[in-house]
Amino acid sequence: MSNIKCTHCQLEFDESVMITEENNPDVYFCCNGCQGVYHLLKEDGLDSFYEKIGNSKIAPPLQIESDSSSFDMESFKQRYIKTTADGFSSVDLVIEGIHCAACIWLNEKVLANTEGIVDATINFTNNKAKIIWDEDTIALSKVIDTIRNIGYNAYPYDRTQEDIKATKNKKDYFMRMAIAVFASMNIMMIDVAKYAGFFTGMKEETLHLVHIAEFIFATPVLFYSGWIFFKGAYYGLKNRIVNMDLLVSAGATLTYIYSLYVLFGGRGHSYFDSVAMIITFVLVGKYLEVIGKKNAIDTMDKIRSQVPHEATIVEDGVKKVVPLDVINVGDIIEVKRGEKATVDGILIGSTATFDESSLSGESLPVEKREGDTIYSGTINSGKVIRYTATKNYANSTLSNIVNLLEDSLASKPQIEDTTNELSKYFSITILLLSIVTFAGWYWYGGDFEEALIVAISVIVIACPCALALATPIASLIGISWAAEKGLLFKEAKFIETFSKADTVVLDKTGTITEGKLDVKKVTGEINADILPALYALSDGSTHPVSLAIKKYLEKNFDSIETVELTNVEQIEGKGLKAYYGDRMIVAGNSRLMDELNIYFSFDTVYTVYHFALDDKVILSFELDDNLKDGIKKLITYLSDINVNVIMATGDNDKVASRVAKSIDLKEYRAELSPIDKANYVKSLKDEGKKVVMVGDGINDALALSHADVAIAMGSGADVALAVSDVVILNNSLKAIEDSFVISRRTFKFIKQNLALSLVYNVITIPIAMAGYVIPLVAALSMSLSSLLVVGNSMRIKIKDKN
Amino acid sequence: MNSILILELSVGIIVSFTLLGIFIWAAKGGQFDDSKKMMDGLLFDSEEDLQAAYEKEQKIKAMKEKKEQSKKEEEVTVK
Repeated sequence: MSNIKCTHCQLEFDESVMITEENNPDVYFCCNGCQGVYHLLKEDGLDSFYEKIGNSKIAPPLQIESDSSSFDMESFKQRYIKTTADGFSSVDLVIEGIHCAACIWLNEKVLANTEGIVDATINFTNNKAKIIWDEDTIALSKVIDTIRNIGYNAYPYDRTQEDIKATKNKKDYFMRMAIAVFASMNIMMIDVAKYAGFFTGMKEETLHLVHIAEFIFATPVLFYSGWIFFKGAYYGLKNRIVNMDLLVSAGATLTYIYSLYVLFGGRGHSYFDSVAMIITFVLVGKYLEVIGKKNAIDTMDKIRSQVPHEATIVEDGVKKVVPLDVINVGDIIEVKRGEKATVDGILIGSTATFDESSLSGESLPVEKREGDTIYSGTINSGKVIRYTATKNYANSTLSNIVNLLEDSLASKPQIEDTTNELSKYFSITILLLSIVTFAGWYWYGGDFEEALIVAISVIVIACPCALALATPIASLIGISWAAEKGLLFKEAKFIETFSKADTVVLDKTGTITEGKLDVKKVTGEINADILPALYALSDGSTHPVSLAIKKYLEKNFDSIETVELTNVEQIEGKGLKAYYGDRMIVAGNSRLMDELNIYFSFDTVYTVYHFALDDKVILSFELDDNLKDGIKKLITYLSDINVNVIMATGDNDKVASRVAKSIDLKEYRAELSPIDKANYVKSLKDEGKKVVMVGDGINDALALSHADVAIAMGSGADVALAVSDVVILNNSLKAIEDSFVISRRTFKFIKQNLALSLVYNVITIPIAMAGYVIPLVAALSMSLSSLLVVGNSMRIKIKDKN
Repeated sequence: MNSILILELSVGIIVSFTLLGIFIWAAKGGQFDDSKKMMDGLLFDSEEDLQAAYEKEQKIKAMKEKKEQSKKEEEVTVK
């Protein structure tokens, strides 16, 4: 059987498991959700979505079980809904499930076509949406249902002052940077003519005209784009700090004044180009910092939006929906299927099944009995339950994790940035040298004007072009090389930290293992008599174990007969019971067999699924999570380059030790909660280790945010992706090996580039101090040093080609 | 020779600053706020998409007028 693409989500699956349609033979669907959305789009004339999606893959539609009526509640309205000047309602949402530009197009289009929606704009960069609608025509819950119907989900978020300020700041920096880049590019073009003129000869008047043009372009760069440096320098001086802003603004202003002096008849050569370049280069760096800050705020909004904002409590038999902060210890809370528990507590009255993947990373639902602890943030995947709160919201697990994440993102340790440090010392040295030069020339020569010109020429010749280019150009080549290998570095500075990493912490589920169960062994014979009943029973549940059995049967048996089962009964978290004709059939775990007094003995370390016919177990399936391709190779590679590998998992010790043994991993930590995992990463860092953490789940987000470099698998949870520094787009473990190779090689070249530009300056600065700077030397110094750095960086990818 | 250069430089500077002005106008209007969407803009400029954008504008206009109308009617009723 060959793999085939799902017509909606474009993910590839084995042909045997695809849903087909008799009257439409060209379409294949991996699930009912994809099939439903495909037909919905076709009916609404929106099937051009499939042209726009191109080669992008999207996740199958989210199956949301919770009720959207909470969006119409008064408490929700007061908190999230605002009224526009025209009298319409407006809400800010975070949309979940956006993968590509076509997803944005689809959501905007469907919302625009919905009666009552005035405007819906979704930002692709941060997946935030603003929806304006007419309350008299449509309720917000219907708007949310419209989004859910096409396979996405929406959460409200409180637009904070912080977010508004960061957005404004980003726009302001963007404008200043755009003008600086525009002017610098024009100056560069004029420079070509100017420097060519030095070699071929240029009249004095023509050169003067060229300088005037450069003056026109350089002036807005210094005074508009560079204004933030003047402001920074002023505040620095006010607090008695010599900062980078002071050096940048002093260097650029002095060069500008000197060039003005030359332009209006003075001796020498003008350097308006240097003014524009210095400001532009530093500003681009600052803009990237501003984007980083805005991203951190967006990440926090995404995390906050996924926290429930109210809970249902039961008081004297009456249900009340209340905000989380009024829940007290001892209150009885009701949680419906698909809802999240909001505070920690103890289960009362019945059994329950909870999806604890957000805490442990494990996809198998956990069965709870009366008296068991219910953790906030976990999802009820069974029937409606009630529990008693043992903690208030502020002290509950969910709130703790959110607060810790917030703190860690706000104070993400500033990784040492060699070039920035170097540039700072370089700039201070140059300023001092130029002061010494001025003093020396004035002392010995007595000519103030000449002393000033030579002193300024020292600053100009040391124009940090090559130094400024040393890191960005090498990083750019390194990052683009990484992108070719399916790795997305969110910021260039992580290349340096990555290259120095000596410890890798790997999450288990989803990183080392696939996170999907597969049948490993079958005890007993699956004969034609029981196959239809077994298949029908496995088809009756969406539990991961049932799904794995169903997949196994579909793969191994052709054309399974369909039969009707009667009296199908789901036994919460344990299995199913039904009648096949007049015979009772039961399928589920060992505990279910015990409960129904079906006696047998079976010992295994794997997850098990028994099938019993008329009180006798006739089949037992052993299931296990598959190891990911290339995990052993990755561990061998990391040991070869002396990087310590540790597995950290929320799973129990038995499973962890088995997985660790199977991949020859010596060190592992098991039964770690998200907070334990984060503390473990922190403790490694405290020991002086440079830690790379690889994970994919919500339970890894906190540990990821504490690591020096966080890597998330592209298919991981939104929160994990948001807090990561590097994203592995193709989910392949080979990419982790590649990232080590790329970052180490790139950093080697960054160091070479820095050395080259420093050597260059060591040669040219003494010439400038001696007063021998002629335009030709300046021209050569300006372009040659930069060319040298660019040329050297080009060699980074040569290794790959070999 | 120099007069030609003066002319060329003046025209060049005027044209480029005009373009810069247009860019600033577009940026202030929010066209570049969403960097990812902007990069994918090319995918969404078919005739059908332009028509949809026009229809959306008309829809917003009609809804605003309707709201205005109902506001006025409410005021009259109150009086």
